[in-house]
Amino acid sequence: MSTTTPPFDPRVDLGRGLVLANPIGVASGTFGFGFEAEALVGITHLGAIFSKGTTAVAREGNHPPRIAETAAGMLNSIGLQNPGVEVVARDYAARWAQWPVPVLVNVAGADISEYVAIVQHLDGVSGVSGVELNISCPNIAHGLDFATEPGAAARCVAAVRAVTTLPLVVKLSPNVTDIAEVARAVADAGADAVSAVNTYLGMKMALHARRPVLPGLGVGGLSGPAIKPLALAAVAKVRRAVGIPVIGIGGIATTTDALEFLVAGADAVQVGTANFNNPQASREIVEGCLAYAEQHHLQRFTDLRWQEQDHPGSREPSLDVD
Amino acid sequence: MTPLAGASPQALAGESDLSRAVDEAAECTALQPLQGNLFEIRFRAPEVARRAQPGQFAQIWVEQSHIPLLRRPFSFSRAQPREGVVSFYIGAVGEGSRRLRRFSPGDSARILGPLGRGFTLPNRPGRSVLVSGGLGAAPFPLLGERLLERGEQVVWVNGARTQSELYPGELIPNGMAELVQFTEDGSQGRRGRVTAGLLPSLKGADRIYACGPNQMLAALFALISESAFEEGGAPQLEVSIEAPMGCGFGTCLGCAIPLRPGAGGEGPVVGLCCRQGPVLRGSLLDWERLLQQPEHLG
Repeated sequence: MSTTTPPFDPRVDLGRGLVLANPIGVASGTFGFGFEAEALVGITHLGAIFSKGTTAVAREGNHPPRIAETAAGMLNSIGLQNPGVEVVARDYAARWAQWPVPVLVNVAGADISEYVAIVQHLDGVSGVSGVELNISCPNIAHGLDFATEPGAAARCVAAVRAVTTLPLVVKLSPNVTDIAEVARAVADAGADAVSAVNTYLGMKMALHARRPVLPGLGVGGLSGPAIKPLALAAVAKVRRAVGIPVIGIGGIATTTDALEFLVAGADAVQVGTANFNNPQASREIVEGCLAYAEQHHLQRFTDLRWQEQDHPGSREPSLDVD
Repeated sequence: MTPLAGASPQALAGESDLSRAVDEAAECTALQPLQGNLFEIRFRAPEVARRAQPGQFAQIWVEQSHIPLLRRPFSFSRAQPREGVVSFYIGAVGEGSRRLRRFSPGDSARILGPLGRGFTLPNRPGRSVLVSGGLGAAPFPLLGERLLERGEQVVWVNGARTQSELYPGELIPNGMAELVQFTEDGSQGRRGRVTAGLLPSLKGADRIYACGPNQMLAALFALISESAFEEGGAPQLEVSIEAPMGCGFGTCLGCAIPLRPGAGGEGPVVGLCCRQGPVLRGSLLDWERLLQQPEHLG
């Protein structure tokens, strides 16, 4: 049997031996723990599954209403409903170990010691292919603290890095002054990759009731096509800031959306809210991206990346929009 | 924090069977305007029609665009496998339903279904009482038909605030043993709430199926729990409840419903309307917490 170089390689190397078969994953909070909708959607087409946010102990989640639709988007305030890391590591991981698709557990802690404890619980567990540190959940108290301050984000990442050899993705919040600064801080602290972005803080008002639709302070996380331009700008900015792989997230509903994030500098993407209205979205996007690569004779998906040096002056816009 | 069993692989056995759901391109075949903002819309969707069971629902992607973003969940009002047609009884109250109201024959939508757990059909014929309030009538034409096919004696107690919100009598399947209509303002049928005048109709009932506002369902549950029934005990009560829904198949966790802890305080206390419901045994719900939930404003 002769060996030939394949004309196109769709794989994505996220570091530490984690190689995705293709750049399309499903975003945390939009695909459960993988098996909820397995019968409906299937999983084998995916490059990776990013699990629902997992906490140290089980959480019931927030009081309803938890979701509200907005123009081309939705707000959610689920509140990290999950069964806790013990159940995830014991029951769910055993199932993931049988799957051909890597599952990265999205981890949410209340403080650094909790992040460390959760990741320690997951380290070495068969079926857990990596962790995605959720330092940016908008729906729990203190969830944003780690994301907004680069120093705290770096300390959290460094503490987790010290206790695991699992591939470590850090999910960045867009609700910060400078996402590039946080990206650099977590990369320097040992993150293998960053994912950007988590949801944008948003509100929906019910005029007739003169109060927000969501309970409590009325704030939730905005996702869906409405945030795509914002997310593209954030991804491009993060790409300029770090050398590690970037996973783009934000309103990806079609093949074109996904490819645009690769142009912006993402190495991989996550399909999120689109999974809700079109359960086959991730499958359609995988097939669409592979077809595009063939039609356009790509060698790797990174061939699509915007080469900024071709546009002198683009780094110094006359209007500073940072 | 209350311990939560949640959607473990083991627990999924008790949830709806997603392997039966299909996402089908459907063509509108008819739209029948009814009184007020009510209408019945029919779609040709042979695979969904073949699989739909009473009490289950479909997620309709009204327009494959970003506005409205999410699909809209509707119970099957009719499912005719031979004709390959499903029908939905809808009130045009929001963005999605108003757009559906403007559909014409030939217009297309995607229909994902059947989703959720439906009503339990009896193995042995007996007497069923259907209790509906307002749009809660939606699943009962299909349930009524399937019960009658099984030789069941079916009583339908149908109520609404006013005549313009009442499910039209002419659409109710033939063969009901009894049809009792209530309006709160007395504009049609008997005056009052269904729960106030219900007890006589429950006599001899083997099972009660109910769908309507949470307040009505809670009152019905209390009525049945507190009433003295003769030998054989209280009839079995199944309710179809509603919750704001994102995906309809268990991944967005938007449609949380409060369940009673299992015996010994173990077991899930938060369920999902789309997977454990929308039809549940009345005794499974934590009615107090359900009634405390604020109304969804949009």
